[in-house]
Amino acid sequence: MFSPPKMTHTLRACALLIGYPDAGLRGLLPQIAQAVRDEAALSASRLAELDALIDLLQRQDAIEAEAAYVELFDRGRSTSLHLFEHVHGDSRDRGPAMIDLAQTYEKAGLHLGPAELPDYLPVVLEFASTQPPKEARAFLAEMTHILNALFTALVKRESRYASVIGALIELAGERAQAVKIADDEALDDSWAEPEAFGGCSTQGQARPGTHQPVTRPVHIVRKTPVTQGAQS
Amino acid sequence: MSHFLDRLTHFSAPKESFSGEHGIATGEDRSWEDAYRDRWAHDKIVRSTHGVNCTGSCSWKIYVKGGIVTWETQQTDYPRTRWDMPNHEPRGCARGASYSWYLYSANRVKYPMVRGRLLKTWREARLKHGPVEAWASIVEDDAKRRDYQQVRGLGGFVRSSWDEVNELVAAANVYTIKKHGPDRIIGFSPIPAMSMVSYAAGSRYLSLIGGVCMSFYDWYCDLPPSSPQIWGEQTDVPESADWYNSTYIIAWGSNVPQTRTPDAHFFTEVRYKGAKTVAVTPDYAEISKLADLWLHPKQGTDAALAMAMGHVILNEFYFKRRSEYFDDYARRYTDLPMLVQLKEHTLPDGRTVLVPDRYVRASDFNGKLGQANNPEWKTVAYDEGGRVVLPNGAIGFRWGPDGRADAGQWNLEAKEARHGGDVKLKLSALEGDNSPVEYVQVAFPYFGGTEHEHFQNSPQAGGDVLLRTVPVQRIALGKAGDKRDTLVATVFDLQVANYGVGRGLPNDTGATGYDDDTPYTPAWQERITGVPRDQVITVARQFADNADKTRGKSMVIIGAAMNHWYHCDMNYRGIINMLMMCGCIGQSGGGWAHYVGQEKLRPQTGWTALAFALDWIRPPRQQNSTSFFYAHTDQWRYEKLGVEEVLSPLADPAQWQGSMIDYNVRAERMGWLPSAPQLKTNPLQVVRDASAAGVDPKDYAVGALKNGTLELSCEDPDAPQNWPRNMFVWRSNILGSSGKGHEYFLKHLLGTSNGVQGKDLGVDDAKPAEVRWHEHAPEGKLDLLVTLDFRMSTTCMYSDIVLPTATWYEKNDLNTSDMHPFIHPLSTAVDPAWQSRSDWDIYKGFAKKFSEVCVGHLGVERELVLTPLMHDSPAELAQPFGVADWKRGECDLIPGKTAPQMTVVERDYPNVYKRFTAVGPLMSKVGNGGKGIAWNTQDEVRQLGELNGLVTEEGVTKGMPRIDSDIDACEVVMMLAPETNGQVAVKAWKALGKQTGREHEHLAIYREDEKIRFRDIQAQPRKIISSPTWSGLESEKVSYNAGYTNVHELIPWRTLTGRQQFYQDHPWMRAFGEGFVSYRPPVDLKTTGEIAGIKPNGNPEIQLNFITPHQKWGIHSTYSDNLHMLTLNRGGPVIWLSEDDAKRAGIVDNDWVELFNVNGAITARAVVSQRVNPGMVLMYHAQEKIINTPGSEITGARGGIHNSVTRIVLKPTHMIGGYAQLSYGFNYYGTIGTNRDEFVVVRKMKRVDWLDGEAATDTAHA
Repeated sequence: MFSPPKMTHTLRACALLIGYPDAGLRGLLPQIAQAVRDEAALSASRLAELDALIDLLQRQDAIEAEAAYVELFDRGRSTSLHLFEHVHGDSRDRGPAMIDLAQTYEKAGLHLGPAELPDYLPVVLEFASTQPPKEARAFLAEMTHILNALFTALVKRESRYASVIGALIELAGERAQAVKIADDEALDDSWAEPEAFGGCSTQGQARPGTHQPVTRPVHIVRKTPVTQGAQS
Repeated sequence: MSHFLDRLTHFSAPKESFSGEHGIATGEDRSWEDAYRDRWAHDKIVRSTHGVNCTGSCSWKIYVKGGIVTWETQQTDYPRTRWDMPNHEPRGCARGASYSWYLYSANRVKYPMVRGRLLKTWREARLKHGPVEAWASIVEDDAKRRDYQQVRGLGGFVRSSWDEVNELVAAANVYTIKKHGPDRIIGFSPIPAMSMVSYAAGSRYLSLIGGVCMSFYDWYCDLPPSSPQIWGEQTDVPESADWYNSTYIIAWGSNVPQTRTPDAHFFTEVRYKGAKTVAVTPDYAEISKLADLWLHPKQGTDAALAMAMGHVILNEFYFKRRSEYFDDYARRYTDLPMLVQLKEHTLPDGRTVLVPDRYVRASDFNGKLGQANNPEWKTVAYDEGGRVVLPNGAIGFRWGPDGRADAGQWNLEAKEARHGGDVKLKLSALEGDNSPVEYVQVAFPYFGGTEHEHFQNSPQAGGDVLLRTVPVQRIALGKAGDKRDTLVATVFDLQVANYGVGRGLPNDTGATGYDDDTPYTPAWQERITGVPRDQVITVARQFADNADKTRGKSMVIIGAAMNHWYHCDMNYRGIINMLMMCGCIGQSGGGWAHYVGQEKLRPQTGWTALAFALDWIRPPRQQNSTSFFYAHTDQWRYEKLGVEEVLSPLADPAQWQGSMIDYNVRAERMGWLPSAPQLKTNPLQVVRDASAAGVDPKDYAVGALKNGTLELSCEDPDAPQNWPRNMFVWRSNILGSSGKGHEYFLKHLLGTSNGVQGKDLGVDDAKPAEVRWHEHAPEGKLDLLVTLDFRMSTTCMYSDIVLPTATWYEKNDLNTSDMHPFIHPLSTAVDPAWQSRSDWDIYKGFAKKFSEVCVGHLGVERELVLTPLMHDSPAELAQPFGVADWKRGECDLIPGKTAPQMTVVERDYPNVYKRFTAVGPLMSKVGNGGKGIAWNTQDEVRQLGELNGLVTEEGVTKGMPRIDSDIDACEVVMMLAPETNGQVAVKAWKALGKQTGREHEHLAIYREDEKIRFRDIQAQPRKIISSPTWSGLESEKVSYNAGYTNVHELIPWRTLTGRQQFYQDHPWMRAFGEGFVSYRPPVDLKTTGEIAGIKPNGNPEIQLNFITPHQKWGIHSTYSDNLHMLTLNRGGPVIWLSEDDAKRAGIVDNDWVELFNVNGAITARAVVSQRVNPGMVLMYHAQEKIINTPGSEITGARGGIHNSVTRIVLKPTHMIGGYAQLSYGFNYYGTIGTNRDEFVVVRKMKRVDWLDGEAATDTAHA
């Protein structure tokens, strides 16, 4: 039976790498690079990509790196590191989903501190890092569709951070690939009123007879910055 | 053949219909419902509310599971109302129900953020310098300063840490105090009632360091100056439950179902009880559908309608027949019987007429009617026998030394003050048959003939002066040997003449019937308002008839929309006059229900101590925002409204020269309005200079001001020494919502890209007489802008530092409203997410760091604080006659009399943190109070120590009650306030009794032992205890209604006469034509002429009046970035216009349009609707420009907010001070931010550019 490589350090390194590039993190970059190489859970090309990101973070002006990070991850949704942002968006299912996830952690004997939400990617990765390789891989595999979307969004923005997400997809045993994301829907179309009595929207429910949102496979809700909420 | 073989015996079809195919039974999977079931599986429910200034103040249940807020529902456990009234619940609306979205939304501010360019410079500077020196090295280097200023609003934030931002903020504050003065640090936060402790956190910090708290109620234009003018009361209104006690309600410009959603049920319910309801609103608003009658005057002409109604009421209920109830009420509770002297005036055509001058005072008589105490402030009337009498209650009776002869006569008993005998005052000179009556022609200003491009006028034969016949009498005034014969008239006789009611007097020029086209008949108003005369007559007659039969149960619910016109006071006084004539004020079910912001901070006097650090230092610095922003965003440089355009035709223009800002400067100089900054010299330095010279600092300042070595900042707002330097914004989105003249803020205060289209006037056109003109206006006055918010608002986008604050479900705080009598909490349902902190903790953090960083720069310092002549203090009796300016040599400079009060205060800068977190000694030493009454609070301070614990750490606060947590702070408020502590209430009523000479304790004695604590209100909202801070009562017998205690407890209104005033006799009120009410058309702001047709895009341009009411899908700007609410609207900025106008401009529904004028430009979708009347365009405020807003074809930048096309305009009558009720009070009186007179060019956009190309770079516009 195929058994995945040990990936504890690689997952924790990835969790750190997509964290905020403040002075503390920048100081750790050489060790991170070393740890990932030592564990060798990733292919050579992925390792090279991660090195390129680490290199960039080391070279870049500190404030510029931080401002770029804020612009990329702290505002807007398409590159949000809170995974349920991609799945549940603004629907009220997000609360219960977060509770579910927190309970998953608790069942594994881990208590999540108050500083972050359960669906924050570094939290998810840290949890995965505590699991045996097989479980960790399965856990990651459950979310590859989200990771792929994130990967695509980052590639579209020509961000080196895409390599971290690419690495995660690889650890999940899949191939990172750009998913096809339709061009931004025209504003008018995205705000078109649903047909009267044709069913309600924002994923609360679909019309009787069609697949209900809770039972259908999780799908990624692509909302462009233009079509909702604060513009990124 | 039988059909039995077609049927199944053992099976039924999976889908079976019933009820004639209307229903269908299915067996499909219902697991999707689990999502809903799971929501109810919560760990706990916590009570909180929404601090959003909606006045709803609704209590909510917050559901929490696993430390995560899952959702919220309405609380339903309000204390019950009386048996015969509906209960309050359910309270809440769709907006509040969507709030939990914000907690985890991508728009949440999660970390302390600093503008990258600033932080980089700061970190570099910190490597070389200490914090204060580092800040100095940045702001003293213009290149470094401009480097980050000019990218405000353009992104580029980085995360920081609390330690770092606290140090940066503290260093900036210390530097600013040391270099420029503490009054260069300002803070803007509005509406404390919605989260009192959060407000108090910032204002306490600012007050301790000497910074300035900015007003909001006047700035928002929610303050109706007519209320202080008439009643000496900021605003006091009935609770919404009292609507149910009414029998006739006019909703005048108030869209109750849309903007008072949780209260609207009382309006609906009272209709089932038989009340008649009338809506007055120019558009077909939601209230129009709810009411029995709908009148729709052209927007901005409401005063004409109200005048005509008043005309009908006077005619039918005072002359055709006399309502006994109205007659009695008018004599006892209004100034109608008071005597006004008349003076001669020569018209331009040479005729000599009489004009109303000031009220006759006791001091006018030989012997001053025996009054040693304040005879200049005691007004007189005739009694039935025709003798001049001195009724109790004028403001002169209110103030004076203890033990004075007239003590206890400040009341509304129908008594003669000199001998205590009963007295009935004469309304008209024609009553009785004693002294001879003469009939003279009195001139009143007439503004209805003024031409306006967009408003219909009604020219009259007399031009701009109306001559009316008035019965007058001659009396002898003046000292023995210096007698003068003076003609006097009662306010009643003048008022009747002013309304044009014919009484059949000799040579009567009043109307002979309603069909006369003479001001102010129902026929006359038709042309101006468009409302048919018979509708006016019907409503006025019914309104008054109902009040007559029910003793005042006619009510007007009024919306601030009408208060946003330049001549708002005419709209309001026109309506309030109707209510006063009909005896509706102070009667349950009647009165003036003006609902605007959540202005009623019920435990006010407990809160002011905490909020303004009155326990440590008095007085605090408070500034009226309208005048401040007018000066410091340099909007005055663009002023096109001339003083002569608003002057009365009966005033001499030669005496009224200069521009609007000149009047504001004079007002500041004479002690009428506050100033910030105050002096061009650092006030710490002033005291040092005085000490060096060995002179008392006040004497030193007086001398230096007179000889010119010391200058007032207001005389040169553009000099760098006078710029505001640090600004805090919290609980507010001033740049995304309330900032009138938004683009001027961006240009001059912030120094960043902006959409200002017009050029400033240049020195020749502006002609400021009192203000120094700089050829180049400064851009970027502010060194540092710090905003605390939980969401990334427009203001955050423009700030240098953005701090993540706790949401309304993550902090403990207090909430009250004018709409209901309960106090209830905000509570921490969950801990503040990410790195957010409560406002209390954030300012505590600043205080702590400030105390460390200041060492070596600031120690115990003394400085000079200037404050205006305050209302509800003896200083309101400063200037009884005339107006005199010391700078012009018209009088001497006497602080507190002809100029601002001056106080030397001591600030212990290294102990700011210790002082912030303990109840200071002044509460025990000096006591507490408000609205002119004071009481001892030693017991309460002791009990606070027992409740919160005492400070045990060594230092200046050891042994004082602690204020560590936000709950401690709540307890301070509730312990000290009469509304939440029965013993204090009894003390406060007793203190008032000393002034009125009457017993009032019975109003609170039955609740004396009650002390409401924070945990009590978490259990259930609590009804507040009646207190003299307010003019209504909370009891099991009456609902809260304003003026109730004035009428029923005979407590005077806090006005010159002690009565409700129809007449305003201050020289400036008369000069600007507002002695009596009239109709004044909107002013011409001249903002479209220079830009219409200049930048064509090929589409037609039309000009429309710009109206900005409250929306359904948000509260101000909050919720307008919330997906749920965006989904219900059109998902971005929209404007509404009529079908006719849309057709003229070639616009169809949902087109992108641009609205612009010289002030700036807005881009939005068009809603074309029959609801809107032609001539106006309606844009709900406030829609964030960070949501779905494309670029403007006019400015080239992203379209602005609704205030991008507005600019502040000041009105001199709002600057009056030192004159009884016309005296300054924070948020009580002062200039207001009117914006309804504005016109915009509306044009369909040719090219919609989202400016997306720049979105990823740091040059993207906010």
